[in-house]
Amino acid sequence: MIGLLEIRRRKLQFALIAAVFALVSYLVLMITGLGIGLNELAGSALLNFDADRLAYADTAGKSVIRSEMSQETVDRVSSAPGVEDTAPLAYVAANYVMPDGEIGSAALLGYDPGTIAEPDVTSGRPLTPEDTNGILADRRFLNDAGLDVGDTVTFQLRLETVEMEIVGEIDEGAFFFQPAIYVLRPTLLDLKYGELPEEARPVASIVLLKGEPESASGEGYEVLDKQTAFNNIEGVQGQSATVTSLQVFGYLVGAMVIGVFFYVLTLQKISQIGMLKAIGASSGFILLQLLVQVLAIAAIGLVVSIGLALLTERAIKGGGEIVPISFTTSAFIVAGVLLLATSALAAFFSGRQVLRTDPIIALGQQL
Amino acid sequence: MLSVTNLTKTYQEGDREVQAVRDVNFGGEPGEFIAIVGPSGSGKTTTLAMLGGLLTPTEGSIQLNGREITRLSPRELTEYRRLSVGYVFQANNLLPFLTVRENLLVMSWIGARKDEGKQRADQLIEELGLSHRANALATQLSGGERQRVAIGRALMNDPEIVLVDEPTANLDSVRGRQVVEMLMRETKDRNKLTIMVTHDLDMAALADHIYEMHDGVLTPSRAKAA
Repeated sequence: MIGLLEIRRRKLQFALIAAVFALVSYLVLMITGLGIGLNELAGSALLNFDADRLAYADTAGKSVIRSEMSQETVDRVSSAPGVEDTAPLAYVAANYVMPDGEIGSAALLGYDPGTIAEPDVTSGRPLTPEDTNGILADRRFLNDAGLDVGDTVTFQLRLETVEMEIVGEIDEGAFFFQPAIYVLRPTLLDLKYGELPEEARPVASIVLLKGEPESASGEGYEVLDKQTAFNNIEGVQGQSATVTSLQVFGYLVGAMVIGVFFYVLTLQKISQIGMLKAIGASSGFILLQLLVQVLAIAAIGLVVSIGLALLTERAIKGGGEIVPISFTTSAFIVAGVLLLATSALAAFFSGRQVLRTDPIIALGQQL
Repeated sequence: MLSVTNLTKTYQEGDREVQAVRDVNFGGEPGEFIAIVGPSGSGKTTTLAMLGGLLTPTEGSIQLNGREITRLSPRELTEYRRLSVGYVFQANNLLPFLTVRENLLVMSWIGARKDEGKQRADQLIEELGLSHRANALATQLSGGERQRVAIGRALMNDPEIVLVDEPTANLDSVRGRQVVEMLMRETKDRNKLTIMVTHDLDMAALADHIYEMHDGVLTPSRAKAA
């Protein structure tokens, strides 16, 4: 109770300490959030697939871009033992033209309605087999382009220009750093392969599957779990390494600042701790006071920093989402636990250090 | 009840041995107020620290109520300080961010006589004339008030022995005298053995027995004998 009473009696001093903790924690959280945002840009649509695994053509080198599958291969994946549900998905990158003439790149994903590949529509309506010129476009794409459900978008592919109507809005994120746009699979195959004779046409890029296939590969295909598939997205590995390094460095520096900070805080109490020892307080009692005090400050600082981080996220998203940022509950939990654990460790080790002090210092200098 | 025999403390200072306390012998009974007078550096505080379980003697024995203090383990010494000793230090007695009452209650918080803590604290605050200051922070107190709180804290655990180090060092003579008289009264009322260390002969004169200390040697004072 001494530790908490001290906080109550020295509100200003401890408010400043909590503020420093909050700022360090805010820095760590922001680095984490920006990292998650960047990774989501790489392929959150892939991670959002309602599937456990993806099957690729075994000639594709684990690349969705290069993977092309025939109907026979798709059927073999579907009937492989252990597989519970499947859906073919076709991918092609296409340019879209904004009303002002600006050109951007979108990831077109062709799916069959009613399968596990169908995305959730957040506004508008899902595609029906009759919507051969309809698209489901990602929320962020619509925001950036200033478009709405009911508007049309011009796509350019293979020297052809196609007008498509936005039927629904989805929130699946990005695919290969491009906004995800879902269309019907036959529409996509026509766009991608054009007049190629039917028998020469692949029917899908990959197959989404649920369940646990007994074999990770079969004739003409191989199966990857979703996370491995994500890591194999072109450019993701290097980016993930950078993001992870940033997070680790941010955390290490933050942990050190917080550790040194609490260490100094504890060292300042050396004469008081000496006095407590001299009147017979046990080491356990003193350590508990330090620990409770540090954890209370850290918890307050953490709550403030999470609030700040969420406000920042809202501000960034309100400003047109130029900077990718995203927070997940697990990111907050991981960062929070790490920072609290660091604080507890700092309190514990500095506490042990000052507890070695001879209680005789309570007598003052003259001996 | 207290019996000190051949108590000696030797320090190593560079390659020189310093005998801070040399072959000290004395004793005391409950209800006695003993003063040890001497100039600074004479070994008074060192003697007090050994009695209080803060320093281990180089030689000799301290028996308190049949218990040999010099042979206690570090853990037992902590308990001895918590339950059997009331110590008033020269300075830094109080936690500045706590009130008068809380500074007394610290003793129950650290595990000394938990049950009667609040009652005892209120009683001591009244006895020491601090009722109107009970909820004042330690930093808001005058020097004399601080010493009174420190004395109260030293009595919180109903100790077997009360050790007081220069209680009047930072006080003027009037307030210093009040503090010593209060110590005397508590010693008699509560039937405690109190040992006070001071360099001030006037304050020491109030005690039942006076010893003088010079260069680590303790002798009964001629002042009281006269």
